[in-house]
Amino acid sequence: MKKLTTLMMAGVAASLMVSAANAGSHSKRGADGQLNIIYWQAASILNPYLSGGTKDTHASSMILEPLAKYDEKGGMVASLAEEIPTPENGGVSADLTSITWKLKKGVTWSDGSPFTAADVVFSAEYCMDPTGGCNSISNFNDVKSVEAVDDHTVKITFKVAKPFPYGPFVGATVPIIQKAQFKDCMGAKAPTCTTQNFGPIGTGPFVVTEFKSNDVVVYAANDKYREADKPAFATAIIKGGGEAAAAARSVLETGEFDYAWNLQVEPEILAQMAAKGKGTIVTSFGTSVERLMVQSTNVDPALGDKRGTVEGGPHPFLTDPAVREALSFAIDRQILVDAGYGKAGQVTCNVLPAPAVYASTANDDCKKQDVARANKVLDDAGWAKGSDGIRAKDGVRLSILFQTSTNGVRQGTQALIKQMWKAIGVETELRNISASVFFGGDQSSPDTFQKFFADIEMYTNNFDGTDPEKYMGSWTCNNIPAPSNQWIGNNMPRYCNPEYDALVAEMGKTASIEKRAALAKKMNDMLMQARAMIPLIHRGDVSAHANTIKGVRMNSWDSQLWNVADWTRAK
Amino acid sequence: MADIAQMDDQEIDPNVLVRVDDLHMHFPIYKGILRRQVGAVKAVDGLTFDIRRGETLGLVGESGCGKSTAGRAILRLYDPTSGHVHINGKDIAELSRTELRKIRPQMQMIFQDPQASLNPRMTVGSIVSEPLDEHGIVSGKEKKARVGELLDAVGLNPSFVNRYPHEFSGGQRQRIGIARALALNPEFIVCDEPIAALDVSIQAQVVNLLEDLQSKLGLTYLFISHDLSMVRHIADRVAVMYLGKIMELTSVDKLFKTPKHPYTKALLSAVPVPDPKIEAKRERIILQGDVPNPANPPKGCVFSTRCPIAEDKCFKDAPKWRDLGGDQYVACHLAG
Amino acid sequence: MLNYTIRRLLFAIPTLLVISFIIFVILDLAPNDPTGSLPLTIPAEVRAQIREALGLGQPFHIRYVKWLEQFFINEPLNIMEHWWGAPIGDSDSRLRVTSWMSRSPVVDLIVERMPQTLWVVGLSYLVGILIALPIGVISAYKQYSWFDQIGTFVSMVGFSVPTFFTGLLLIVVFSVNLGWLPSIYDTTLKVTDFSSFMAQLRQLAMPVMVLALFNAAQLSRFMRASMLDNLNQDYVRTARAKGMSEKVVLLVHVLRNSLIPVVTVIALGVPQIFGGAIITEQIFKVNGLGQLLILGIENADIPLVQTLTFIFAILIVFFNLIADVVYGMLDPRIRYD
Repeated sequence: MKKLTTLMMAGVAASLMVSAANAGSHSKRGADGQLNIIYWQAASILNPYLSGGTKDTHASSMILEPLAKYDEKGGMVASLAEEIPTPENGGVSADLTSITWKLKKGVTWSDGSPFTAADVVFSAEYCMDPTGGCNSISNFNDVKSVEAVDDHTVKITFKVAKPFPYGPFVGATVPIIQKAQFKDCMGAKAPTCTTQNFGPIGTGPFVVTEFKSNDVVVYAANDKYREADKPAFATAIIKGGGEAAAAARSVLETGEFDYAWNLQVEPEILAQMAAKGKGTIVTSFGTSVERLMVQSTNVDPALGDKRGTVEGGPHPFLTDPAVREALSFAIDRQILVDAGYGKAGQVTCNVLPAPAVYASTANDDCKKQDVARANKVLDDAGWAKGSDGIRAKDGVRLSILFQTSTNGVRQGTQALIKQMWKAIGVETELRNISASVFFGGDQSSPDTFQKFFADIEMYTNNFDGTDPEKYMGSWTCNNIPAPSNQWIGNNMPRYCNPEYDALVAEMGKTASIEKRAALAKKMNDMLMQARAMIPLIHRGDVSAHANTIKGVRMNSWDSQLWNVADWTRAK
Repeated sequence: MADIAQMDDQEIDPNVLVRVDDLHMHFPIYKGILRRQVGAVKAVDGLTFDIRRGETLGLVGESGCGKSTAGRAILRLYDPTSGHVHINGKDIAELSRTELRKIRPQMQMIFQDPQASLNPRMTVGSIVSEPLDEHGIVSGKEKKARVGELLDAVGLNPSFVNRYPHEFSGGQRQRIGIARALALNPEFIVCDEPIAALDVSIQAQVVNLLEDLQSKLGLTYLFISHDLSMVRHIADRVAVMYLGKIMELTSVDKLFKTPKHPYTKALLSAVPVPDPKIEAKRERIILQGDVPNPANPPKGCVFSTRCPIAEDKCFKDAPKWRDLGGDQYVACHLAG
Repeated sequence: MLNYTIRRLLFAIPTLLVISFIIFVILDLAPNDPTGSLPLTIPAEVRAQIREALGLGQPFHIRYVKWLEQFFINEPLNIMEHWWGAPIGDSDSRLRVTSWMSRSPVVDLIVERMPQTLWVVGLSYLVGILIALPIGVISAYKQYSWFDQIGTFVSMVGFSVPTFFTGLLLIVVFSVNLGWLPSIYDTTLKVTDFSSFMAQLRQLAMPVMVLALFNAAQLSRFMRASMLDNLNQDYVRTARAKGMSEKVVLLVHVLRNSLIPVVTVIALGVPQIFGGAIITEQIFKVNGLGQLLILGIENADIPLVQTLTFIFAILIVFFNLIADVVYGMLDPRIRYD
């Protein structure tokens, strides 16, 4: 077990390299006036435990802090903790069942009261209360107890060995909230505490002075913030509303705002705006991959209750590896990137494209379109073109129902793919479903992405933080959505392979970062070679900041505002 | 018409209150994208007649013959295309708007539809008194008294001043319209089918009221109607109009006893007679065809297309306005 | 009139109850889900727990009755408490209608958004009316003149060009190229002195003009038609025969009568002000009631959408009544007995 711990933490330690000192030189707190940020999706609530929306998490990250954050490279940096606990420094127990965090001393809440271990314990209790509807509860999976060893030490014990014990309190989705403020808001009462949810007291660089839900958040510098000369801005606002192009315009063209988040704008238009020279576009890549899910069960409506389930039988033609291979090689991914994503996308052949240690290169042949190969594979497998130009074999035509959520870029991508597949003799019918229905998980609706009553579906998925274990566990046999589990489960392609399941189980026991990486790559390659999914685009985050703002370090692993305390305005 | 020039030069007979002189009222027709004028509806096409002080001149004709237009053009509620209308010696066709407004009190009009001709949002009192204010005739208490007087004169209870037109019956509304017309002490009133919209039982009351007022106030009427029997009752002289022109003009008695124009004869043949014996023998002259389009009237005599006795010249030359003697005038080649 | 009004108000109660029920049924049948907008990284079990915490697990009728209680009893009690400044009964445990999106009382959200919606949409309605009435009057009086032709053209443009186009056009011209006006509405601006008042005017200018053009286009056509109806009436001829000046004929006789239907239309349009202007609010980030509604719909925030649409329903029923009463007051021919 000792060997296990040592090995495991080697990699983490590497990622702990604290990033270089801040670029901007700080004069003093509040010297740079107001910071204007625009999020075209407005913040609804400032308690990230009650909202999973990125916009809310980011807005609250200026106030609330976790014990450690992820930096722009995916490495962990201590924020409220003294340091990152590792087996080396004794913070993680040798058997990997507990982690002990040492808290920074002398930190106060913005109301002046001291920050202690009791607040950390309380935050865990708050989120783990099953009646509270906490969005981050899965970060506390397998947590047995969270206890305060002393005022500045917290010990989290797990029911099982946790090779990666950084679920609780690392990242903007799991910050520490003040016990004194939230003690009457446990469980079912959580949503009724509007005052608290709209104005949490935090330890971060800013405090809320005014909050209009779904509209605007107004902040002022926290005069109790632990770094005396930070933040550089006296006040800040996050304005919400409108759409991405307008947000981009307000930074890049009119200069009304300093920072704009998530600029999913047509690449050409964005480039034109940026040409005005007022602002800079910044991108970063996390783990988001736009992919095609390939149905392997039969979705014939005649099957009734068995439709789209393993019991319903295999898909009439998508179970043929040749078809899957041809579908993948027929796609020119670069065109999809250029048309819909620009700087916010890059071609990928993996569902697990990042962090770098986990990224496989075994499947890179799909990066280039190869129509000849696609045609040949189909010809060899006996799929011959009929008089209508569509391939068929034994009376089965290659006719695909292709669904995705309603979204301009996705419909553009759909149309392009339809053309590319037509070129190899595959007919495609396109369908789009409102996002709130598609992702909504309403069991009575036949149009959810879990039910997947179509041949191909497209969406983006990713995972929180930097550890892919849970994510890669999505494609095990018992994760197949079915009526028996109320269609809950993330294995949309209904991929089931005992070998893969064994690898997942092995990773749960493996601590060495190299071995974990090797396992993750192997799993990725298995999925890719079976073409359970056809990855298309590694999607990045695109934001823009005014040229006068210094210190922005674009981050896909944590809140984009994770280092807002270090931002300054050039004079 | 040759005698017009002569008439212009004449001193107007002091017995004549209104002299209408070759009055034309043409409504232009526009067509096409650029709305060019492509023609004109000749609603009134050369009227010439006098109305003597204190008399009632009946103006009769079928619907659409231009009688209402003539009435309106005479009071210059329309701007006539050409011609003159002298009232009390002043040519009102030539007056400027301001001058015209000043002499409006002399001439008034009673309209066909008493409902539509009264502003629905004004009380009876303000309808009647509004012109008094405008022309600065009376004000204050005097005005109130005058309104009461006028309502009384037309047989309405003076306490109705604060009611709205819709609260009255059709006959009462027409009385309001009359009171309103009387408010400014006019000399000349154009009655444009004042009873056409009323119940038969009410018609006589209103006509009697008009007659009473005429004798009391010495009014002069131009009584426009398509109802020959009512005209026979009220008018002193009658002008018969067809397609914008007068066909025959004479006293009531002569018109009904010895009509000269074939059109007059046809019209009269349609009037029922109270005596059942005569009524049974009455021969009706049924006119053939439709009234021609006033935008494109027939050449020659306008009536020629429907005239039962028309000859060749009727289709070529327009008949002259002929004096048949005994104050009977006719526009027909063949009458005599 | 009073009896009539009371009778209408009494009839409105069952009508509104039926409306509220229909809205509730429709929203319940809609296949979207409040957890649909959450990131995919939140697992399905957690979503199920969230749904449970939102009260979605309860049967339909219980949720409906709860909403009725919250809306018709708890919210009014809360407002009364606010007025009297003293708690009535157990005010802490009284559940208010709570938005799923922001976990805060819906009524508070609405009150918070009222100012910007009234400023922008209300003002544009007012400006629209002020532009439309004279244009309508002159267009009708000078029918087929150049003024009328241009008026017809402008209102056709105003009506048929969507606000997202005119809005964007204005932004590109006045914000991007000229830099005169802000493209983003600042809801935190408080008017305290002359310069903040000017700032308020500057940020109002574009959204108000966009909406006013749209409103004026509709209304001016209506005004013109109504004027034309009346200009050919006999009573106008009567007024002229009376020797009234053209000004009096036009402004006293014709305009007053023509305004009757127009005023009714204006009154019927007032609920739209409270409905906000979904598209214009989005373009200029006014974030008023329209934006709140569309967000609620996107995020399947049933209590919010239910309450907001129901309030619109109340306003529509109420302003229909007002329009009828105003008609009765303006037109002496109408009597409600």
